[in-house]
Amino acid sequence: MPAPLLDREFLEKLERLTIHWQKSFAGLVGGHNMSRFAGAGQEFLDHRNFHHGDDLRAVNWRAYLRLEKLFLKMFQVEPRVPVRMLVDVSESMTAHGGQKFDYARKLAASLCYVGLVRLDTIEIHGFSGRLAQRIFATGGRHRFPGVMDSLAAMTASGKTDYNAVVRDFIGSYSQRGLVIVISDFLDDQGCERALQYLADFGHELMLLQVWSDEDRTPPWTGELELRDAETGAGLKLDFDDDARRRYTSAFDEYASAIQTMAFRSGGRYAGIATSQSLESVIFGDLIKARGIA
Amino acid sequence: MYLLNLSFFQFLAVFGSIGAVSVALYLLDRSRRKQVVSTLRFWVAAEQPAVAARRRHINQPWSLLLQLIGMGLLLLAIAQLRFGTPALAGRDHVIVLDTSSWMMARSGKGTLMDVAKARARQYLRALPARDRVMLVRADALATPATAFEPTHQKVDAAIVASQPGSTALNLNQALSFARHIQLQEGRRAGEIAFIGPGRTADSGESASAPPKNLRVIAVADNVENCGLRKIGMRRSATDPALWEIYVSAHNYGTAPRNVTMSLDFGTPQQAGRVPIGTQRLSLQPGGDSEASFQYRTTAAGVLGVNLTPHDVFPADDHAEMELPGQPALAVTVYSNEPELLRPVLAATPRVTAVFRRPAEYRANDQGLVILDRFVPPQRPAADSIWIDPPAQGSPIPIRTSVENVPFAGWNPEHPASAGLRTKDFKLEKVSVFEAAPSDGRVGEVAAGPVIVAREGKPKIVVLGFHPALSAMRYELATPLLFANLLRWVSPEIFQRWEITGGSVGTVKVALDRETPQKDIQVTGEDGAPLPFTMRDRTVQFFSGTPGSVRVVAGNREYMYAMTIPELWDSKWVPPPDVRQGIPHFAAVLDSSIDVWPWLAVAGGLCLLAEWVLYGSFRRALRPLLLRHKSRTAAEVRR
Repeated sequence: MPAPLLDREFLEKLERLTIHWQKSFAGLVGGHNMSRFAGAGQEFLDHRNFHHGDDLRAVNWRAYLRLEKLFLKMFQVEPRVPVRMLVDVSESMTAHGGQKFDYARKLAASLCYVGLVRLDTIEIHGFSGRLAQRIFATGGRHRFPGVMDSLAAMTASGKTDYNAVVRDFIGSYSQRGLVIVISDFLDDQGCERALQYLADFGHELMLLQVWSDEDRTPPWTGELELRDAETGAGLKLDFDDDARRRYTSAFDEYASAIQTMAFRSGGRYAGIATSQSLESVIFGDLIKARGIA
Repeated sequence: MYLLNLSFFQFLAVFGSIGAVSVALYLLDRSRRKQVVSTLRFWVAAEQPAVAARRRHINQPWSLLLQLIGMGLLLLAIAQLRFGTPALAGRDHVIVLDTSSWMMARSGKGTLMDVAKARARQYLRALPARDRVMLVRADALATPATAFEPTHQKVDAAIVASQPGSTALNLNQALSFARHIQLQEGRRAGEIAFIGPGRTADSGESASAPPKNLRVIAVADNVENCGLRKIGMRRSATDPALWEIYVSAHNYGTAPRNVTMSLDFGTPQQAGRVPIGTQRLSLQPGGDSEASFQYRTTAAGVLGVNLTPHDVFPADDHAEMELPGQPALAVTVYSNEPELLRPVLAATPRVTAVFRRPAEYRANDQGLVILDRFVPPQRPAADSIWIDPPAQGSPIPIRTSVENVPFAGWNPEHPASAGLRTKDFKLEKVSVFEAAPSDGRVGEVAAGPVIVAREGKPKIVVLGFHPALSAMRYELATPLLFANLLRWVSPEIFQRWEITGGSVGTVKVALDRETPQKDIQVTGEDGAPLPFTMRDRTVQFFSGTPGSVRVVAGNREYMYAMTIPELWDSKWVPPPDVRQGIPHFAAVLDSSIDVWPWLAVAGGLCLLAEWVLYGSFRRALRPLLLRHKSRTAAEVRR
């Protein structure tokens, strides 16, 4: 029997957290984030003129008796917003011993537990060339063991194609919500446009970029024969300290581009190295990025 | 320039193999590292040109060159590179110097040993100075006097200090040893020079072929010698005071000889000796002659044997042997009826019996005390035999008294009842003793032991009846019982002696009776045990130095007085193809210098430099440094 992704002690620490989003989404009552949309809530929000077809139960009859005009009472709503997690299961996540893939699954499991504790509806999708391996969880923390087992059973394969994945996603889910993408964001065709499209569609993005130390600062020196984990393409080169500096600079530049895109679209971003402990990421980086509170 | 430990082709083969393995490992280590990465986009951005064309060349050639040079230098150090030619290299010679007893023989004004030492020094001076020499002294054993010495003065001093031994030459063993030591040393083998007259103890038939590098430097000798070969002495079986002496002489020479053999006995000093006898012997060439003498004495002293006239080898014309005295056991009998025991004690030789009445009892009597139906006021300090003691005062408690009981038998395990046989007889009245578990039960009736022997100091024997007053008085077992008891109480008095005088070397002793090996002791003059072997009933041991060796086997004791030098049996004739005489070596200056330590240091420095400049020293540190840098940068970014 494989070891669980997260231990009980760590899960207990996660119980005081809440997944946060900034946008207002339409949805049924029952969430925990305020929305600027009026609805069937308890807190009074405003009045507006009555229109034909409005619910007569919300008419302010006192105002009618005094002013002989129909006003409708509006209430603030806390809608239940779907939280959707996209976990990268492409082969690039398995490079360098599969550290990124393991880390991404643990991170996804942690966020899923946080959401389940607050009775959020969580949908987890693995993706590489398209959406796959859907895990649906709702109804509280007691549903978490099944989620954890499903995450543990995930396998990585395929080549990343963000355009196809986003197209699939938008085609599958019309209701806007929070989309958490846990990935290394390494797509030869680029992922910025696809992610921007997702944001433009109305979803709020939380981009969690996971990398290993070898991804950012390759330790090797000398003549290298490299093979791309996804495409299988090869490259032979001489690698020295100067080249390593250029490499790291290019990597940081790419990470900055993703971060900029996330902020520009009103989303959040966190860069996570696999050498960091999961606890420090959840209680440090993600809280700082206002992804959870 | 040449290699001492390897031939040139061996060096090339070893270096070629090491070099090939080194280059292969080098290429493997420096070959392009294959790595699977998440993406190539940043690698392309690193803008480092590909190097496919360079693979045909060795990367970091200085590293490989340093490695090869380092290993080559180390290999040269192991192979011991030397300057000059192999012909100039030193060789290892072994001088086998005959130090057998025959080297004591006179030759001109000195001895054969002096002549041999002079020849050995001549040979040593003839050897090139760079050659190493070992001196082996050869008699019955081959003993290295020096190691392979490059300093000839040390060997010369060892030659001068060499003295003749006491054993005959075992040439075969000496040459085998010299050949073995030359092979073991691993350098160029020089000569094995045997210096001596070649008189050996073995006949030479079983000898292996002499080594090819043998050189014989013969020493001429005069073999006209007669000498003592063996002397045997033992007490007469019928008269213990009489020594029977047997002497054997041998003529080693080529002419018949008439010699006079004379024996004397007395103190160690020559002045107090008493002549025992003289006999004239006629000895044929290579023949033996024997003479027998008898001498009556119970005293201890020194027996001298002389052979006259003396010859070139006087060491074997005289021998001296120490004869032990014949002690007697003092027995004091306290009895009111001494006549009962007088015949029994008179029948046993080496016993001096004194009979006293119980009223004359003295507790400090020496030897053995016999108490006949008498309990003294104070127990004797000496060993004692109690005959039918009263119940009150018996040294071993009396359990009961029985009457008219048949004698059950003798205990065959106890030495006091050895050889005792009796017909059925009854004891009218007998005391049965309460014997301790450690007590020896010599004789028993159905109710228990009636003759008990207790070990300890003093020894005690109790008899529950008087043998001379019972039905046993008619039995032959009665005097035998007393003889056994006396022997058990004082075994040293009754020990039988046999003394043999002979030559040093290997001695074989044929025992009269089967004796367990644990009961045999072979000790030297200083009391230290000598190693020996036991086959059938023959004990064999070796003593390389003159002196006496004592062999104790049960109740018999053999003395070997090895005072006569062991002499040769045959003359070894070297094969005709063996080199002989003092050689004339070419005088060549010793120019060889040991450079291997410098080569080893240089090789080590090369490998160290390669490791520091190119080796795993730097590669091992790099990932750690990079990881630290990466973490620091990530912290700054956050």
